[in-house]
Amino acid sequence: MLISDIKSRPVYERLSLDGAGRRHLVLSDAPRPLGEVIDGTDGAGAPLGYWIVAATSAVDAQPQAEAAPGNAAPVERRAFRAASHLLDRLSHRLAQETVGLRLYAIGEEGFIWDVARMAREAGLEPSECFTAHAGSLRRKVFCVHCKTVTSGVTTSLAVCEGCGAHLVVRDHFSRTHAAFMGVQADAEAPGELPAVEEVFP
Amino acid sequence: MTIQFKPDETFRDDFRYSNSDAAVLRFPFPFPEDAYMYSVNIEPHVPGGATPAFDNPFDVDEHYVAECRERAQVLEQDPSRCKVLPHMMAAQWDTLELLMESLATSYPAHFTLTREGTSWTWENRPLGIRDSFTFGDASTLPLPPFEYITRQAQGDFTLQDQRDDNLFIDAGMVTTQADWSLDFDVGMSFHQWHGPVPLAHQKGVFDRALKFLLRLQYGAPVRRLNWTMTVNPRLDTSPENYPQWGPDRTTLTAENIGQKLHLRVELQSLFRLPRSNAILFGIRCYLCSIEDLARVELWGKRLHRVLRDLHPEIADYKGTTRFREMAVAYLAPFDDGAELPAGTAPRQSTLPPAALPVER
Repeated sequence: MLISDIKSRPVYERLSLDGAGRRHLVLSDAPRPLGEVIDGTDGAGAPLGYWIVAATSAVDAQPQAEAAPGNAAPVERRAFRAASHLLDRLSHRLAQETVGLRLYAIGEEGFIWDVARMAREAGLEPSECFTAHAGSLRRKVFCVHCKTVTSGVTTSLAVCEGCGAHLVVRDHFSRTHAAFMGVQADAEAPGELPAVEEVFP
Repeated sequence: MTIQFKPDETFRDDFRYSNSDAAVLRFPFPFPEDAYMYSVNIEPHVPGGATPAFDNPFDVDEHYVAECRERAQVLEQDPSRCKVLPHMMAAQWDTLELLMESLATSYPAHFTLTREGTSWTWENRPLGIRDSFTFGDASTLPLPPFEYITRQAQGDFTLQDQRDDNLFIDAGMVTTQADWSLDFDVGMSFHQWHGPVPLAHQKGVFDRALKFLLRLQYGAPVRRLNWTMTVNPRLDTSPENYPQWGPDRTTLTAENIGQKLHLRVELQSLFRLPRSNAILFGIRCYLCSIEDLARVELWGKRLHRVLRDLHPEIADYKGTTRFREMAVAYLAPFDDGAELPAGTAPRQSTLPPAALPVER
């Protein structure tokens, strides 16, 4: 049974630049125009970085400064080969950061909550890291039995990559694990499985 | 008072577990009315209630020694059943102090706490433990303070940190749970960890409960009862081990359901802690077979009515779908349909050997 009205599922709002920030860093798991993912960048006086995942080895993550119109500070853009590449670079950046950074992440839930977890571990407050969903609804699923995370789940049932159990994907979401809970669907009567539906396109 | 412990009991495999007549009569039966629906149902946790299970801040009964051994077994399999986030050290010591003080006061025949400044000595005679340590210095205890003391108590415990007008489940010892995972839920806010409960969100139960708990005062603990049903006297009905206990639900028959199906009641208590301002949440689990419960006339009749008329979504969430009708059929012969007094006290001081069918 898919419990659909569980309240731990995050609700997202559109991103908007936090005027209290002294430096802003916007992260997107796909190439998207900056103005489409966040409001308030036009008049931003504080330095702003925009990092995207280009999903190709042809990019090298070199910063590209770009003059902004009017009084706004320049935007520094970087393109990464994959989300892992971006997160690795982010961990170095967060280790050097001081008070005043505002972090914004947009993309699939697995990506944005990985960013939120790194931010938390680096000491950022929840009010200093903002998330918004974009793209596929596919999920990361944490197997409650063997603790393996299976990624890219689009269906109501998923086979655990760790223990092979057929997991029902509950709507229960853990920000700590950046994943939804998966529970064996046929634990009571092995082999008795409900029909598989595509529910997270 | 000296308690006769039953150290050979088991809560898995051969299920060597039973309630003495006295243990049945002290069961914290959770249904004051013939129908059940979610409510906040919180009352002051003061000594005294419908049965002696409410007489002390932390109830110890005949299953104490066996339950502590079961906890140790679960932790050996899966240490992540005990998790404490790093900022919870003050709350760990608060917990240790509250449990030691309470147990020593309630059960002086079994537990002794000697305090001289920060030099403390703790004696737990049923478990054969005697440790001297410095209060506030974790290096002087064999285990971190929260794990040390909750290994010596019945029932699960969680610690809720209070910040941003919310409660966060930032620590826990959870080995006797009704299908929820501390490892998954740790760090969640109040509404997040209650996410999977049906109906209650829409009724505003959690909004009201959170508002109430944020104002919980030191020295004024509160309690409530919660319940579910468990096949076999199994304490570890965790989601982690669902593949191990889930199949139990398919083993019930009309012949064995009276002995195998247990009403599982949680006596939940909430204490504001003095140093950390955190809340200690005790989830004390009681198991009683429906065969034994029916020996208390009022309880057998009422349980029959509650299960018969249970809201389908609650019946499903509590995992009773496969066997509810069978349980209702088992209990029906003991219910004459007569009007029952409100309340949960057993209203009898002895038990017949078995419940007798009544005339309708």
